[in-house]
Amino acid sequence: MEHLSRRWFLGVSGATLLTAGLTACGSGDDSGEDGKGGPLTAFVWGDDAARIQEEAIQRFNTSPAAKKTGGTIKLQRIPGSDYPAKLRTAMGSPSAPDLFFNWGGGSIKAYVDENQLIDLHDIIESTPELKNGFLPSIIQSGALDGRPYGIPMRGMQPVLLFFNKKVFAQNGLQAPTSWDQLLETNKKLKASGIQPFALGGADKWTELMWVEYLVDRIGGPEVFRKIQNGDAAAWGDPAVLRAAEEIKKLVDGGAFGKGFSSVQYNNGGASALLAQGKAGMHLMGSWEYSTQLGKFKKFAEKDLGWVAFPAYNGGQGDIKNVVGNPTNYWSLSARTKNREAAIAFLKTCASEEYAKALVANGDIPTTADAGALLDASPNPEFAKFQYELVQDAPAFTLSWDQAVKPEWQTPMLTEIDKLFLGQSSPKEFVTALKGLK
Amino acid sequence: MSHRSNDRTPSRRHWTKRSNPIAGLASFVWLLIVLIPLYAMITTSLAGPEEAIGRNALTPPKNPTLDNYGLVLDSGFSHYLWNTTLTAIGVVVIVVCLSVPLSYVAVRNRGFWAGGAFRLFLLGVAIPAQAVVVPLFLLITKLDIYDSLWAIILPTAAFAMPVSVLVLTGTLRDISEESYEAMALDGASPTRMLFQLVIPLAKGGISTVIIYSALQAWNNFLFALIFTQSEEPRVLTLGLYNYVSQFGVNIPALLASVVLSGVPIFVVYLVARRALVSGLMGVGGK
Amino acid sequence: MTYPVTKSAAAAPKGDVRATHVGRPHASWALPGVLFFTFFAVVPMALAVYLSLTDWNGLGDPGFVGLENWKNLFTDPQLMHSLLVTVLLTVVSWAFQTVISLLLGVWAAGKQRNRAVLSAIFFVPFLLSSTAIALLFFALLDPNYGVVTGDTLGTTSGAFLAIVFVGAWQFIPFHTLIYQGGARQIPEVLYQAAAIDGATGLRQFFSITLPQLRHTMAMSGVLMVVGSLTYFETVLILTQGGPGTDTKILPYLMYEAGFRSYDYGYASAVATFLVIAATGLSLLLVRVTGFGKMNSVREGM
Repeated sequence: MEHLSRRWFLGVSGATLLTAGLTACGSGDDSGEDGKGGPLTAFVWGDDAARIQEEAIQRFNTSPAAKKTGGTIKLQRIPGSDYPAKLRTAMGSPSAPDLFFNWGGGSIKAYVDENQLIDLHDIIESTPELKNGFLPSIIQSGALDGRPYGIPMRGMQPVLLFFNKKVFAQNGLQAPTSWDQLLETNKKLKASGIQPFALGGADKWTELMWVEYLVDRIGGPEVFRKIQNGDAAAWGDPAVLRAAEEIKKLVDGGAFGKGFSSVQYNNGGASALLAQGKAGMHLMGSWEYSTQLGKFKKFAEKDLGWVAFPAYNGGQGDIKNVVGNPTNYWSLSARTKNREAAIAFLKTCASEEYAKALVANGDIPTTADAGALLDASPNPEFAKFQYELVQDAPAFTLSWDQAVKPEWQTPMLTEIDKLFLGQSSPKEFVTALKGLK
Repeated sequence: MSHRSNDRTPSRRHWTKRSNPIAGLASFVWLLIVLIPLYAMITTSLAGPEEAIGRNALTPPKNPTLDNYGLVLDSGFSHYLWNTTLTAIGVVVIVVCLSVPLSYVAVRNRGFWAGGAFRLFLLGVAIPAQAVVVPLFLLITKLDIYDSLWAIILPTAAFAMPVSVLVLTGTLRDISEESYEAMALDGASPTRMLFQLVIPLAKGGISTVIIYSALQAWNNFLFALIFTQSEEPRVLTLGLYNYVSQFGVNIPALLASVVLSGVPIFVVYLVARRALVSGLMGVGGK
Repeated sequence: MTYPVTKSAAAAPKGDVRATHVGRPHASWALPGVLFFTFFAVVPMALAVYLSLTDWNGLGDPGFVGLENWKNLFTDPQLMHSLLVTVLLTVVSWAFQTVISLLLGVWAAGKQRNRAVLSAIFFVPFLLSSTAIALLFFALLDPNYGVVTGDTLGTTSGAFLAIVFVGAWQFIPFHTLIYQGGARQIPEVLYQAAAIDGATGLRQFFSITLPQLRHTMAMSGVLMVVGSLTYFETVLILTQGGPGTDTKILPYLMYEAGFRSYDYGYASAVATFLVIAATGLSLLLVRVTGFGKMNSVREGM
C-alpha cells in the first residue's frame, strides 16, 4: 500500500506539472525513496520450477545473512512467454529488478553493452563459495567475452526425446535410437490413432529444437558454430536443407497432429498431450520433467520415459552431442540498491541445501558436488542419465535462439515456424535464412 | 440537415410496430450466436477436472462444482478488480474535469484558439492509442511512473478525450442562446453559467462521457501489458491474460475467471441498464 | 429550442447589442485539457516520428540514423503483408458488423416488448472486456482441450475469421445500439408519406431508413475502422500473429518489432505509418460519408 500511495502521489504531482505546462523531465533518481531497507526485486521465469527459487528466497530472507546485510528479496514470477519482453521493458525503466533470471550469452548481451550488469569476475574470484562451488565450465558458458555476469541458479537443461512408456508398451514399441527407427515408430503410432509427437508450435522455440538436433545429427556441431559466428552464408550448408526436408516430411505426414500451431508449451498444452497418452513422444528440454511433476505427478513418476535424440543414418553428428541450455543464471543489475545483500543471496545458490532442493525437483545442479547428490533425486535414473549425457557430450550446442545475435532471433524463429506450417518450402527456408542481416 | 432538428417532435414516439420477418429471423440467429458461447462458457466453468476434457459443451456438467471459481478468487482476482476500479475512477475524473470546460469553450468562445483546440481533438479521434505505445513508454519511464496505475490512467484518459469532447460539444450546442441570455440578464458570469446552466443541461452528454471513458479503462490491455509488470498495479485485463499461463490447460478455471470478470459490470448493467444504454447511444451522436 | 433558431441566433447575432453582453468563457479554460492531451497524445506522436529516425534498443539513448528505418520499412515484405491483412481485416469487419448491426438496430428500434428483451440480451457480450472475450474464444477453440476442438486457429482462414468473429461478437452490440438510437430519430412522417405513396417495407428501408441513417453510419463506421485497427489483444491472445505471419496486423507488427525484437526505432516507423494511415483513412471516410459537413456546420456555429 505504501508503494501504491507513493506512486499515486508521484502521479498526481506528475499530472499537475504537466497541466501546468511544465515539461519537467521527471525525477529519475531513486535515492530519496528507497533506502537500503527496501526489498530487492528478483525476476524469475514463472514456470513450475520457480518454487525452488521462491523457497530459497524465503530461506534467505529469514537468514542471518539477510539481517547482516540489511536486505531482503522479493521474487516476481513472470509468465513464461512474456519473460524476455517484460525484463527488457523493466530494464529500460527506473524500476529495473536487482536480480534477474537469464540464459547467459546472447540473452544478456544488450544489458552488458549498456553497462547495466555487474561484472562478477572479481566477486567470484574473491568469494570461495562461488569460485569453488560451481563447475567452472558452466560459469564460463554464460559469460560474454570471457567475463562472467551470471551465477548458475537452475539445473542443466539438455533437450531430450521424452516418451510415454505406457503408450509405447501398449503398441509394442521401443524408444528409437536411429532416425529410421524414429520414422518407423512414427508410422506405427499414427496407425494406432495416436499423435506421434506432441509439439507446442504456438511457442516457436519448441519447433526450433527439431531443427537444432537434426542439423547437429546430419552435419555435426560445426554447421551451427559457423552460423553462430554471424556468417549468414553458413545457413547454406546442405545439412540445413536436409534437416528442413526431414521436418517437412514429418509435418506433412501428420507427425505433430493437425493443430500443433495453436498448441502452447507455456500453458502446459503440449505436456498434457504426452501425459494423457494423446501423443507418444515429445522433444523438449529436461525441464519437461519438472513440468510433468508439477502438473501430472503420477505420470511423471511412473510412465515418463526419455532417450537422447536419435542418430541420423549417414550423418556427421555424434549421437552423444547435446543441444540445450547449460543452465540459467542470476545476473545482478548495476543499479542495485544493496549489492552486499544480493551477493549474500547469490552465495546461497552454491550451497548444498539449494543444490538438494534442485535435485529434489528432478534437476541436475551445476554445483561442483552435484554428482554425489543425485541419489536423492526423485528419479535417480533420470538424474544420472542427464548428468552423464552432459558429462560425456563431445559438443554442447547452446539453444540457437540464445546463441545467435539478438537481431536474428525473431526472424529465425518466424522462418522456422513457416517451414513447419508449410508456408515455405525447405529451399525457401534456406534462402530466407541466408538473407538474414 | 433539417431532419436532425426534429428528433424531439412527438412523432418519434410512434415509431412503427410493423413486423419485420427478415430482421426477426436474423435477430434470432444472432441470439443463438450470442448465447451459445456464453452458455458454453458458464457450463464449462462449472465442470470438474475429470469432466473438463473432451466434454460436450452443450450438456451441463454432471457434477457441477464451484472449485474453479474458488481457484480464481484465490489467485488475486479481487486485487485486480480493485485496481481496475481505481483506474476507471481516475480516468473518469480526469476526462470529465478536463473535457467539460474544454467543450464549453469550444462551443461558446468563438476565438481562434478555441476553434484550434476543437480541431486538435477532432483530429485525435482517429488515432489509435496502440500506435504511440513506444514513445509513451519512453515518456512514462522518464516521468518515473512505470509500473504504477498512473501509467495506465494518464494515457488512457488522454486517448478518451477526443470522443468525449465530440460528444460534449454535440450536447452543448443544443443549449439555446436564449438560455444564456436569460442568465446574462441575471448578471451571471461564465463560471456560474457553467455550473448552473451548462452542466445541468448537459447531463446526458456527461453521463455518456463517464460511461465511455470508464469503458476505455475497463477494456485497457496494452498499456497495462507494457507499462506495468508487478503484482501491485496489475489490473483485471492483465490478470486474466496471466491466468493463461497460470491455469494452463485448466480450461474451466480460465473460463471461470472470464465469467467472474463479467459479473461486476453485469450487476451495473442490471441496476442501471437504461442509463448505460442511453449513455452509449450518445457516443453515436444524435 | 429548435435547431434553426439556435443556429441563426448564434451565426447571425443581428447586430443585437444584447448578445455581446453574454459573458463567454475565456479560451484559457480549455488549456488544462489541451495541455494534457498534447502531452500524452500529441507529444508521443511527434516522439514516434523522432524515434523512427533513430536506432534505439530500449536501454540506452536513441541514436540518430536518419531514414534507415523507413528504408527498411518500405523494403520489408512483411510490411506489405501486414498492411494487406490489416486492410482486409478492417474491411471485412466493417462490412460484417455494419450489415448485422444495421439490421438488428433498425429492428430493435421497434417498441415491441420482445424486441426490448432481445436487445437487452444482445448487449451482454459488450459487457466483457476485449481481453476476456479473446480469452473466452481462446479457451473454447483450444485444439485439444477446448469446446470446439479442431484446428481453427492453426489455419490461415480459420485464424482470420476467428479474429473477425470475435471482434464482431464484442462490438456488434454497441453498433446495434447506435443504429437503434439513429433509427428512432427518423421522423415517422417520412414513413407515413411513403406508405401513402404505396412504398413497400423494403423500398422504405432503402429510400428512407438508409439515407436517414447516413450520419449514424459515418460515426459507427469511423468507430469500427479505428476499432479494428486496435484488434491487438485479440491477435496477441488468439493467434500471436500466426499461423506463420498470416494474421500479423500492423499494430501487432509494431508490438513485435518493439517489445519482442527491441528495435524501437523500427517499431516507431511502423507506428508513424499507422498514425498516418489511420488519420488518412478516417479523413477519407469523413469525406465520403458527408460526416465532414456535419462538422463544418458545428464548427460554423
